[in-house]
Amino acid sequence: MNKFKKIFTNFRMIILMILLVLMVISIHPDPYNDGVAIRTVLKNSSAAISQINTPLPTDKPMLREVIFEIDGKSVQSVEDYNQLTANLEVGDIVNIRTRSSYKYTGNERQFSFKKQINKYSLTVRPEYKYTVLNETEEVIVPKIISVNKTINGTNVTINETINETVLRNKIKSEIIGTQDLGLKVYPAPKTNIKKGLDLQGGTRVLLEPEEKVSDEDLEIIMDNLKRRLNIYGLSDILVRKQKDLSGNLFLLIEVAGANEDEVKNLIAGQGKFEAKIGNDTVFRGGDDIKFVCRSADCSYAVDPRRPCSKGSDGQWHCSFQFSITLSPTAAQNQADLTKELKLVTENGQEYLKKSLDLYLDDELVDTLRIGADLKGRPITDIAISGGGSGETQQDAITDSANGMKKLQTVLITGSLPVKLNVVKIDTVSPTLGEEFVKNIIFVGLLALFVVSIVVVVRYRDVKIAIPMLITMGSEILLLLGFASLIGWNLDLAAIAGILIAVGTGVDDQIVIVDEIKERKSSSLLNWKQRIKRAFFIIMAAYFTTVVAMLPLWSAGAGLVRGFAITTIVGVSFGVFVTRPAFAAIMEILIKE
Amino acid sequence: MGKKRLRKIRNRNNDTKKKVQVSPQEIVPKDIRRTKQDNVFLEFYDKNYKMLLIIPFVILILALGQIAFQTITTGEFISRGVSLTGGITVTIPTDKTFDTANLKTQLLNQMPGRDIEIRVLKSAGTQTAVIIESDISDIENTNEFVDLVEKETGISQDDYNLDVMGSSLGESFFKEIMFALVIAFIFMGVVVFLYFRTLVPSAAVILAAFSDMVVTVAVVNIMEIKLSTAGIAAFLMLIGYSIDTDILLSTRLLKRKDGTVFERVIQSAKTGLTMNFSTMSAIIVILIFSNSEVLTQIMTILLIGLTIDIINTWIQNVGILRLYLERKKSE
Repeated sequence: MNKFKKIFTNFRMIILMILLVLMVISIHPDPYNDGVAIRTVLKNSSAAISQINTPLPTDKPMLREVIFEIDGKSVQSVEDYNQLTANLEVGDIVNIRTRSSYKYTGNERQFSFKKQINKYSLTVRPEYKYTVLNETEEVIVPKIISVNKTINGTNVTINETINETVLRNKIKSEIIGTQDLGLKVYPAPKTNIKKGLDLQGGTRVLLEPEEKVSDEDLEIIMDNLKRRLNIYGLSDILVRKQKDLSGNLFLLIEVAGANEDEVKNLIAGQGKFEAKIGNDTVFRGGDDIKFVCRSADCSYAVDPRRPCSKGSDGQWHCSFQFSITLSPTAAQNQADLTKELKLVTENGQEYLKKSLDLYLDDELVDTLRIGADLKGRPITDIAISGGGSGETQQDAITDSANGMKKLQTVLITGSLPVKLNVVKIDTVSPTLGEEFVKNIIFVGLLALFVVSIVVVVRYRDVKIAIPMLITMGSEILLLLGFASLIGWNLDLAAIAGILIAVGTGVDDQIVIVDEIKERKSSSLLNWKQRIKRAFFIIMAAYFTTVVAMLPLWSAGAGLVRGFAITTIVGVSFGVFVTRPAFAAIMEILIKE
Repeated sequence: MGKKRLRKIRNRNNDTKKKVQVSPQEIVPKDIRRTKQDNVFLEFYDKNYKMLLIIPFVILILALGQIAFQTITTGEFISRGVSLTGGITVTIPTDKTFDTANLKTQLLNQMPGRDIEIRVLKSAGTQTAVIIESDISDIENTNEFVDLVEKETGISQDDYNLDVMGSSLGESFFKEIMFALVIAFIFMGVVVFLYFRTLVPSAAVILAAFSDMVVTVAVVNIMEIKLSTAGIAAFLMLIGYSIDTDILLSTRLLKRKDGTVFERVIQSAKTGLTMNFSTMSAIIVILIFSNSEVLTQIMTILLIGLTIDIINTWIQNVGILRLYLERKKSE
């Protein structure tokens, strides 16, 4: 009993135990978290309309909202969910009950310790098919325009809302079925450990730019890809920049729960960007836009010809301008479409009656006025302008600069600075991932068992074998806890890292035991010196392992980084936390 | 006399126990018991360490020869799987037996001129997966292949794993990791040298690790294992594992003064072999029961490496260190 007290009051043991408790909290195991977790809520779907929120990509797995009941029937698995949401008819009301640890108040999330139950009623919406007819109709649409006015002798820009009559083609809509509820779900997680693709299924794509690109360009490409993937409602995505030892840049994209075709289409597809006048497409992203200027000589956050000014509402307004280059075909298209348009005069400037609307994947992202000088002329270099406002002049400049950047990004989306080549694709099927997890847990436990048998046979002493087993277990727990704490994905490479960390851990413990035990009779050394000797060997092995792993950080497009990180973190935990604790236990138990 | 304290390796203890029990040595603590058999073996190991040194060096030279031969005949010092040369791997987990030869002909008929290989993955004796590999590495053409495989085997998209490696990436990945391996090796050498600060013992540790790698590569070649990305990781793991026992040995031999040199060798061997056996038993278990190709390859390479490490640590490294200590003593 006394020995137990000694063990649990030992300083090193206390550190280990505190860390273990922290890691368990971080892993947050909950075997009763039944149901299906919401991965994504599609835009404009019934689910989105009834205020179900898409989780943030940074959310820990256990924070995800979990559906556990549909129409009074319990949901245990994805199959249950599919079954309960099949055969719905237009107008059906689906009652969904969920558990979550937070609630939205406006845009702010409020977290609560206790899980709360949410109820949602989703109305099944019809799926329409739209056909554009040749007949036209006149519709009145409200429109905000910027107007320059002279108030008290100063020239200011203010926004005015006007009603504009637009001629457009009639659209016929017919119901062709029911729309999906708009929820993408997966089995509810039982811990905070993020399973990587190898374990949960999904697709990983490695892209390489066809030619060398600057870091800045790569950032833009990444922004665009993220934007594109987000538009398609994929929230569990990871887009990462990776550099290999020769300085080549790669982009790694991981999409959980998606198969190869889906991901390839998203990335390979040019991203639908369209500029329309009324209903007619003037130009599309991709081949139609040859160049978008982002350098200082042809893009201005504050247009030098129209300096910032203070409006009557007390707000500052600034205008930005940058040029783009269209292909000759797009320019001709533009000329044909603007030929017939009427001119309007606003604040002494002449504009075409209709404006240029920019759509990204069918969503209106911006509306631009077209200068009168463009009417009917096939001009390839055109200037695009817009504005920003703010409380102070500086705010207005920042707003304007941001607006410009966003618009430039949108324009480049269709025309990425360089072509991206797919150089590697992995797809893991979700069912196989699950089987792999089961297998790895089984094999892992079996390996631990066999190692402890070897130790028992060798030392014939449970006082050594049990602490060793506990130490191995703690090391695995520490690593898993750490992984869930920093939110890194546990994939095969990481598992290999865990194996090596635990393996060297066992080796080190054997060194400690032998140093202590074998010399008990002969040596004049005291305990401290013996432990010091053991750690001399352990530290040498530790440093060699760590330095051997360092080059893997970036070698080979970072594909083995997970392995290097896990190994380094694992052996570090071992050397600085678990091994000192193990030595302490040994000292207490074996010292007579 | 010092040898009296030697305890033989435990797992051979059982068959000799009875003899000891009837002997007058009963009063001697269990740890000190030994038998004639052990004596002969240990005496041989003690007396002939110089001669025994021939073994690891012959193995090393043979391995270098194998690698040279492999390089001359195939152009590469180790044969690379499709994940390192570029190509496609379809893993279908199933216990259903396919007519693999027939499947291969079917696929080859429709994709003439391609290199197609079909393997079966086993875990604990039962088939767990069928693996189809091909050298198609241009991402555009992979769809065609995958569709064909789906058609021929009757599986659907969610039932298999797919891994496509572009050939240029495979090539650069291999080069980079090889480079990383060399760097890792140099780093490791620097750490070892800083630790022991003497040329010969540090060099001996590095030589042991180097021999482990070289011989393992040769064995991998002889066994006709095609190296995958995971296999390279295994070689890196091997550096860490093989160095552990060498450091243990060098520390005990160079920095300790208790007992004779040979006693310290035996003490280290007991610790070191326990380390090796516990690791190897875990590896064998994973090898038998894992259903992942990646883990299977990592574990196979580690098992080969650790087996070779026993020779390189306890014959090669011991021999060199003892020679060194003897020379130092006589100076």
